[in-house]
This record gives sequence, structure tokens and C-alpha cells, in this order.
Amino acid sequence: MSGAAFSPGRSNLQRFLSGYGQEIVVLLSIAALFAVVGAVNPRFLSDTNINSIFAGNAYIAIAAIGMSMIIMAGHIDVSVGALIGVIATIAGTLAVKGYPIWMAWSVPIIFAIAVNAAVGTLVAYTRIPSIVVTLGMLSILKGGLISATQGEWITNMPAEFMIAQMRPFGIPSAVWFMVALTIIAALFLRYTDFGRSIYAVGGNMEAARAAGINPERTVIGVFALHGLFAGIAGILFATQLQVIQSTVPPNLELTIITASVIGGVSILGGTGTVIGSTLAAILFACIGSALIFLNVSAYWLRAVLGLMILATVLADMVRRRRDK
Amino acid sequence: MKKLTLAAIVGLGLMSGSALAASAWTGGDDLPTSPLACDGTPAAAVAKPYDGGVPTNPPDRKGKKITVVDVPKLIGIGYFNATSKGIAGAAAELGNVDAKTDGPTKANIDEQITFIDNYITSGVDGILFAANDPVAIAPVLKKALEKGINVVGYDANSTPDARQWFVNQAQFNGIAKSLVDNMAKEAGEDAGVAIVTSTFTTPNQARWIAEMAAYAAQCHPKMKWLETVEAQEDNNLSFNQATTLINKYGDDLKGIFGMTSVATPASAEAVTQAGKCGKIAVVGLATPNAMKPYVEKDCVKSVVLWNPVDLGYAAMQVLRAVADGTLQPGATSVKAGKLGDLQVINGSEILLGSPYTFTKENIGQFDF
Repeated sequence: MSGAAFSPGRSNLQRFLSGYGQEIVVLLSIAALFAVVGAVNPRFLSDTNINSIFAGNAYIAIAAIGMSMIIMAGHIDVSVGALIGVIATIAGTLAVKGYPIWMAWSVPIIFAIAVNAAVGTLVAYTRIPSIVVTLGMLSILKGGLISATQGEWITNMPAEFMIAQMRPFGIPSAVWFMVALTIIAALFLRYTDFGRSIYAVGGNMEAARAAGINPERTVIGVFALHGLFAGIAGILFATQLQVIQSTVPPNLELTIITASVIGGVSILGGTGTVIGSTLAAILFACIGSALIFLNVSAYWLRAVLGLMILATVLADMVRRRRDK
Repeated sequence: MKKLTLAAIVGLGLMSGSALAASAWTGGDDLPTSPLACDGTPAAAVAKPYDGGVPTNPPDRKGKKITVVDVPKLIGIGYFNATSKGIAGAAAELGNVDAKTDGPTKANIDEQITFIDNYITSGVDGILFAANDPVAIAPVLKKALEKGINVVGYDANSTPDARQWFVNQAQFNGIAKSLVDNMAKEAGEDAGVAIVTSTFTTPNQARWIAEMAAYAAQCHPKMKWLETVEAQEDNNLSFNQATTLINKYGDDLKGIFGMTSVATPASAEAVTQAGKCGKIAVVGLATPNAMKPYVEKDCVKSVVLWNPVDLGYAAMQVLRAVADGTLQPGATSVKAGKLGDLQVINGSEILLGSPYTFTKENIGQFDF
């Protein structure tokens, strides 16, 4: 089964390179960008700019952790961008209405887990493809958000609510969250039964069932976990700026899915790591910043990401054929 | 996997290629510009024949008490509460107008048409409107004209022949002058400035930028434009783009223009979080509510838009002048109470005047 990329006993360098190849490519791309753009304009390497690069896309990296698990399990979620918008609005509304801050942080996360557990249940038991279920959810969330807010922005949030603007030890808290959650998720996927069952279900559902795994429960669990990460991402998104827009950033779900795919998660399910998706999210922020430093329209970012997706998927196909 | 690296290199190659095509004040359009005089002398009106509609056999309303209904795009939001306040204020000042505001609670053209239709049936003397759709609203407004009702628009126009006059809140060159003048005042005549816009092809923003470049060349020739970045209408992208501009130019950047109501607060946020308040001026188009946190903390000094209270006030004054017969097709100006003489432009439009600058002193009075 394809989840075997992480089975024990593969320890030599070649195995390591084939297991983490994509992560290494992304890491080298980041290093190359820093070297090239830093040579053109040394201000690119200033600590403030490096801070902006790491903090700017931290919420995307965190959402991509959950998305990577979904894709590893053989599914997809196109509603995550709308969900993040709804979470931000709920959190901001609670904070402005004077509810305790811990509630403004936790209630939306619980909401996100509940919504995604429901989506997971539908996907697992009705066998409706996840792209269809989440497309439906996308419309519900987006439409609901616009009717509920009437397009009004949320402002005047209390200062202690703004968790993403806090800087423990001089580093933005969003970066701390990104690093900590990536490590926890990577360990979880590698060393827990549930983590490994995600790869198994994504690799071959019937084989996983034969091996004693309950695929339905695994799918529901993965969606709920994805809800947790989306919830945390939504809170960081909500507290990054002083205003919460009533609309979600266009194409946010695509950016998140792209981070997972470029980070090495196979779109066919069964393989990938969350370290890769986090590195890919950082790479995007790097490219976005580099485009301005090199005086290039931000629209190239989309084109470059598109090229990278194609190249990554192609490389994945080639690797699979070669491994057979 | 080598392909990925290859793709990145190809991408970078494409980037540096297009960087060579840079020109002055990127993001502006190529249409002719008409910068205003540096001292604010109004531009000479271009003669254009009256193209508004004419009511059929209106009764003589000169000096008589009239009933007026105002049907904005929607009611219950700060912006139209403010225009409604201006209308009520003008009506009270005039003393011979019974004005009220009524309309849909959502910006829905079908509901707006129903409201107007009902008021035509109930028999009013005048209708003020801000159209949800310039074409779809035309038939019901023409029906009102046929019944002899005076019709004046504000904020959002209809096709010209469906109403008599339209009060235009701001022209491109007026906004451009106000933005550039405020920037020169706050950041200095020789400031290096950057622009955060929606996209290079968004019509209104492209027009403003072109007018700003033309006006700056004429009246603030030492102002140094550095770069325009696109940020769509996306809060986080605007913030990231503005932050990167600050990181890139360091002390060379003295001011940021925000061209949308999203880009301006996000740029202010970027300046705040970079600890550059007072060192980098943010001047832009935005609504007061989104800017209050930054204006109150003295991080932003001028927010440019128009005053919706004045807009409503002017619309009511214009309607009264039309009903009295003092504003006739072919006129070049109209008396609008405390706002003084307002200029007629484009055949059948009345220009509200210079844009309004929200500052720490006055921003608290607005809620939209």
C-alpha cells in the first residue's frame, strides 16, 4: 500500500530523499528565493521582512495542515475558505458583544469542528464525493455569511482579543502556532494509530478495512480534525487586522489546497507530510514578497503557483509509476 | 521533482522580464486627464446640452408646500442614514417641504421599484433616489415624470432621461487633487509615495491614479512616485502588500495612498504594526468607521471621501429648486442653501463640490 512511505525500516539516505523529496525541493526553493532576492535588495533579508513573510501566511499554513490530512485520506474540502470567513465573523461578533475572550476564541473553533464532523459523516456514510458535499457547504457558508452580516464589517474589537498581534519573545504568535501545530501534527500522523490509519484509508480503503481499520470513523475523525485546524486558522485570520471583512478572501480555499499539494501531499491520497504543506505556505509568502521587491505584478503569483501545481502533480505521477 | 525548481526559475525569469516595462504611476489608465488648478479654482464647465428628463404638466409648485419621498438603495445602514439626515435637515431649513425616507432593507432593485411605484400611486410631489441599477430603475422613474412628479437622483445615477437632475458626489480630478494635496501636506513636497490599489484595470481606481499623476506633475512636481501594488479587494493581501512596501523602501517611503475602502485601512494597519505611525503618512479613500481606530490614534490624519450628509442636503435643495422653477435646463449653477452655489456639469448633473476630508476633529460625527 502507498502509505508505506512511512513504514519503519526505511532508513538509508535514498529512502529518506524519496520520502521527503518534495519537502526538500520546497525548502531549497525558499533558500534560493532568499539568496536571489536578498542579493538584489538586501532589505528583503531584514528581520522585519522575514517576520512578515513567516507571519503573513501562518494561518494558511495551519489550515493547510488540516487540508493535508483530508487529502491524504483521499478527500478534498473546497469550503474551508468560507468556513474561515464564518469563524472570523463569529469570533469578532462575540468579542465585540462583550463575551469573555476565551469564549470568542473557543466557540468558533467548536463550531468549525461540528460543521466539519457533519460534513465528514455525510461523506463517510452516504458515499457522496467530498467535493460535492463541500461545494454545497461552500454555498451555505458564503451565502449565510453575507445575509447575516449584511456586508457590514466588524471593527472596534478589544485589544486582548487580538491574539495574532501578540508577540511572545518578539516573534508573532501566529508563527509560534504554525511551528507548534506543524510539529504536533507531524508526530501525530507518524506515531499514532489514528494518524497512520489516515494514510491507510487514503491509500486503499478496502485494504484498510481488511486490516481492521474503520474507514468511516477515520473519515469523520479527519474532517473533525480539519475543522480544529481551520478553526485555529480562522481565529488567527480574525485577529490579524483591526477589521474583519464580511467576505472571505477570494480563492482562499485554493491557496490552502495548493499549499498541501505543492508541499508533497499526493492528490490521489495516501502520502504526504504536513511539514511540506507548511513549507509551501511559507514559500508562497516568500514569492508574494519577492514579487514586490522585484517590481512584478502580484498576478504572477497565481501563474507561478499554477505552474508549480502542474509540476508537482506531474512529478508525483512519475514517482508513482517508477515505484511500481 | 527537478521540474519544480525549473518552474520556479521560469517564473522568476518571467518576473524580471516584465519588470522592465515599468512606467510613471503604474495603475492609471490612458484616458485624457483634466487636472484641476493647484489653487482649487473650479474647472470651466464643458458646455453640454441638458440631457435630463422633463415631467409632464407638473402643477405650479412655486413656494408651495410639497411632499417628498427619498428612496435610497437601502435603509438602515450608516451611509444612507447620513444622506437621510441631510435631506431632513434641508427640508427643515426650507420650511415648506415634508420629506421622509423609505426604502428596502436590502439593496434590491425590485423592491426599490415597488417602493417608488407605491409612492407614485399615493401621490407625492417629488422623488429623490439612489439607484440600485441605473437601467432597471428607469421605467418607474419615467412613470413618475409622466405623472408630473419632480425626480432628482443622488449617489447612484439612473439613465439621464429618467430623472431631471443628478447630484454627483465627486469627480475624478477632484478626488485626485484632494488626495495628492493632503499627501504633500502630511509627507512633504518631495515625499516618496507608493499606492495600494485594487487592480491595475479597475476603472474607477485607474481613473483616479491617472488624475493623481497628472495633478502631482502640475502642482507637486517634486513628489516621487515609487510603486503601485495590486491587492484586489482583499484585506489580508492589502495588509501584506503594504507591509512589504514598507520593508522594501525603508526610510525612502514617506506616504501610502490607499485607493479602495479596503486598501486604506489595511495600509494604515500595516503602518501601525510596523511602528511607523508619524513616519509614513496614509492618505486614502475610505469610509470613516473603518478608519476611526487609526485616526483616533493619530496614525492617519486625512481620509478622503464625500460628506453624505451634504450629499442628501444638496439633493433636497436641488429638488426644491426644480419644483420652484428656479433650476431650469441650461442653468450653469444652482443655489443650495448653506453649501452655496453648486456647479452644473455633464448636461444635467450637479457637482457636490470638493471632496470631504475626515479628520480627528470631525470623524466622530459619522457612522458609516
